[in-house]
Amino acid sequence: MNHQPFEEWLLNDKNLTPAEKRELDLHLRTCVHCTALSATGLALRSANVLAPAPGFAVRFQHRLAAQRIADRRRRLWGTIVLVLGGAALLAWFVAPYLYAFITSPVEWITATVGYFLFFASQIGALIEAAAVLFRILPDFIPPYMWMVFVSALAGLGLLWTISIWQFSRAPQGVTA
Amino acid sequence: MNEELTWVIQAQQGSDEAFTHLVETYQTPVYNLCYRMLGEPDLAEDAAQETFLRAFQHLHRYDQKRSFATWLLSIAAHYCIDRLRRRKFSMFSMDTEDEDGNTFELPDLDSPNPEVESIKGQTRDRIHAMLKDLDATDRAAIVMRYWYDYSEVEIAESLRLTVSAVKSRLHRARKELAGLWQEEETRAEAERRPYESPAF
Repeated sequence: MNHQPFEEWLLNDKNLTPAEKRELDLHLRTCVHCTALSATGLALRSANVLAPAPGFAVRFQHRLAAQRIADRRRRLWGTIVLVLGGAALLAWFVAPYLYAFITSPVEWITATVGYFLFFASQIGALIEAAAVLFRILPDFIPPYMWMVFVSALAGLGLLWTISIWQFSRAPQGVTA
Repeated sequence: MNEELTWVIQAQQGSDEAFTHLVETYQTPVYNLCYRMLGEPDLAEDAAQETFLRAFQHLHRYDQKRSFATWLLSIAAHYCIDRLRRRKFSMFSMDTEDEDGNTFELPDLDSPNPEVESIKGQTRDRIHAMLKDLDATDRAAIVMRYWYDYSEVEIAESLRLTVSAVKSRLHRARKELAGLWQEEETRAEAERRPYESPAF
């Protein structure tokens, strides 16, 4: 049996003209499928809205208060665990050095000073090498290369700015 | 600025009293949606409470350009869909059950016409019981459409679907419900005439 256009009308809850209504009534007398569709539509439209048991808002306030207490407790325990864990980890790392320092402080101090001097001399050497490089480099590189280099830097900067702007203007959805 | 928006803004600033006003205003639609989705009053109460709790916790993310009711019902629908997916194998019982497991409801004798009210009640229960056979998202779409008169656009916004997906889900769900209705009619007809020959 051909259910069109009656099925479409019923599914889309179309407002029918008197003529269309008559046509539909005639079809419903012979079509079980469309009758069921019409009956479920009527049943859905006549369905009532149920309210919760009285005192819903008060029960919500109690639940909210309980949730807040649970959240506070969870935060407190989280902080305690984090602090104690951090302290234990720190103690575990520091313990061998502390033990070495307590047993022979002179050796430890000498080693520390040695490391410090080594780093200081390395940094000094690097600074000197960089200064030499900066002094001799301009003589080797032609001026147009400098222009290309600066332009490339500017282009990259512009690209970076546009990217940041594009990301920051993306729409922010509101969902729970 | 309307009263609801004032309450929302005050609640966003931390006023419990303003949020309580919102709970009182929307408790029935939220509870009804949860009841139609989950099928049991206790589960519906719990889901409705959880919905308001989530709304309270995420109130800073609410966009004031959108309808607060739509936002709230969207949270409720998503919560119920998740819950249904998690308890796919659990029972879906409602009303009183007899020894054979059939559900029934006593008619309200104080109503003007007990017979008519009883038939209406049975029809409502029948459609409510049939909802359980629908897919969770289809069920949410049907409830929003027929209990709250939501447009397809509003349903799409609430369930994070496209309008065409909502339309096809609504059509599919309506056809499924009609199929179930038809099956029940056939079964009821057979029960009414158990000794008749199929030839008659």
